[in-house]
Amino acid sequence: MSTASGAGLELRQLCREVGERRLLDRLDLHVAPGECVALLGPSGCGKSTTLRLVAGLDPASGGQVLLDGEDLSERGPGERQVAMVFQSYALYPHLSVAGNLELGLQVRGMAVRERQRRIDATLDLLQLGELRHRRPAQLSGGQRQRVALARALLRQPRIVLLDEPMSNLDAQLREDLRPELRRLLCGREQPVIYVTHDQQEAVGMADRIALLEAGRLQQVGSPRELYTNPANRFVASFLGRPAINLLSIEPGRQLGLRPEHLHLSEDGAVAARLLRREWWGHQQLLWLDSQWGTLRVLTAPETATPQEPRLSWQRQHELWFDPQSGARLLH
Amino acid sequence: MRTRSSSLLLILPALVLLAAVFLYPLLRYGWLSFHASSVLTGLVPVPNGGANWGRLLDDVRFWTDAGQTLRFAICSVALELLGGLALALLLHRPLRGRGPLRALTLLPWALPTTVMALGWRWILNDPHGPLNAAIRSLGGSSYGFLSTPATTWFFVVLADVWKTMPFVALLLLAGLQTIPVDLEEALRLEGASRLQILRRLTLPLLVPYITLAVLFRLAQALGVFDLIQVLTGGGPAGSTESLALYAYLNAMRFLDFGYASTVMLATFLLLLVPLGGGWLLLRRAGLERTTERAA
Repeated sequence: MSTASGAGLELRQLCREVGERRLLDRLDLHVAPGECVALLGPSGCGKSTTLRLVAGLDPASGGQVLLDGEDLSERGPGERQVAMVFQSYALYPHLSVAGNLELGLQVRGMAVRERQRRIDATLDLLQLGELRHRRPAQLSGGQRQRVALARALLRQPRIVLLDEPMSNLDAQLREDLRPELRRLLCGREQPVIYVTHDQQEAVGMADRIALLEAGRLQQVGSPRELYTNPANRFVASFLGRPAINLLSIEPGRQLGLRPEHLHLSEDGAVAARLLRREWWGHQQLLWLDSQWGTLRVLTAPETATPQEPRLSWQRQHELWFDPQSGARLLH
Repeated sequence: MRTRSSSLLLILPALVLLAAVFLYPLLRYGWLSFHASSVLTGLVPVPNGGANWGRLLDDVRFWTDAGQTLRFAICSVALELLGGLALALLLHRPLRGRGPLRALTLLPWALPTTVMALGWRWILNDPHGPLNAAIRSLGGSSYGFLSTPATTWFFVVLADVWKTMPFVALLLLAGLQTIPVDLEEALRLEGASRLQILRRLTLPLLVPYITLAVLFRLAQALGVFDLIQVLTGGGPAGSTESLALYAYLNAMRFLDFGYASTVMLATFLLLLVPLGGGWLLLRRAGLERTTERAA
């Protein structure tokens, strides 16, 4: 028995190795009840692996999964009371919407009347009542996603896991669905883990973001913390679009400057030459050539741009990194 | 209009070929079945009204063979389906050495029926076959497996199942591989047991493939000829004779082409019922799948 810890979901030193490959390396993460943590990172970083370990779909090579202090590591996926929304939604194609919700309850031997009551309530909650007799193939992408969500919430799980639940939807729909998803998922008693490779989605959905790369946790914190105070160069360059400028100004130190922190000014320290301008409506992105390579600068849309501007920035916005390891250097 | 006629033109060669290979023989059988054409008529077709068909209705051997053929088809297809399903589920699991194992299970199917039937006949030979040798070495005495109707029938079914079960397994394995893994995982997360997953998810999704396998196999089993011809010759005492074998005997041994045509056509009409039904079922399942893809 492990020592009892706080409420919520706790991953301790969680590892997953397949053959020689280390997919997840000693992950420590705590998700409080009702909290939504986004696992963010490029593909292959270990975020889906983590989710599958929490669900019990793959065996861990080491470490523990604790829920409210209780060790889940030895339990099979059916005994963890975990609900998961798959990237593909994993709707049963031979069953109607109601049938998709019902199968799980049926399998656990719930009485017909109780089944009906729960299904009706969940369908109402997600406004799926009119679609209850449709097959998954007859639904739009957004509707399928709602059915998958309904199926996950229906069983009153103790943990909710979402594996890129919106990656199959178009950008507009994704944006529209975010508030609804948050309303339905977060702030209940379950911890929620939301896997995504889309930083906008992570920022929009999660209370905290855990950024992973190559199986290792890089940093965990609120979106603001990660953005303003990145632990290393990877975090700094993964978050924020357009990406941060990295300048090898002096030997042994690399300077990171976000595009919005570079300003055009006549007495700026750095001379540059305008290469290209992208006009985005609410902002414009300038591509400038300088002695340290190409720089990205964000300015107000109507800012006049000379062909050979000079650039300045404030010291407080400087982020310094070790050029080799990428570790943050604090000054 | 123009597209219609030009598309007709494009498929015309195929239509002509199909008509020559399928339609003409069928019509020829139909025509011959209303003629006497045997050694007695010097093999010249002489119209004899519906005499062949009248004879067929009273032909006990024909109806016995029809029953035997049906019994053979139902038994072997049912066993092949069960065995094939078990084999497919086994081969679908991530086992070490799964590739060679898959190839190995297909071997019996790759064997020509005649060769395999000869092999079985040798195995069952009384008293020289290996099976009898084994029985004798255990202290028993030789048994004429192919001399009593019950054991003969059993071994005919066994040989057929042995040979074609891999085919069914292969078809069902292809079906299993179309089922996304995450469906099973989703149901596992809901707490379903292996058996529940099989019953509630895998089998329903496999229905189109099962229908296809049954249809294919039923068509072959109802028309069974070579296996029986080589293994038992229809014996003992006609107890394993199939309709196809009876039609063959009428034509090739009794040289009664008029009646042989009648038997063949009647067999065709009888088979049309189960096969047509199955085809309709399959088409409905197939249609449903294609509309699901389109959506």
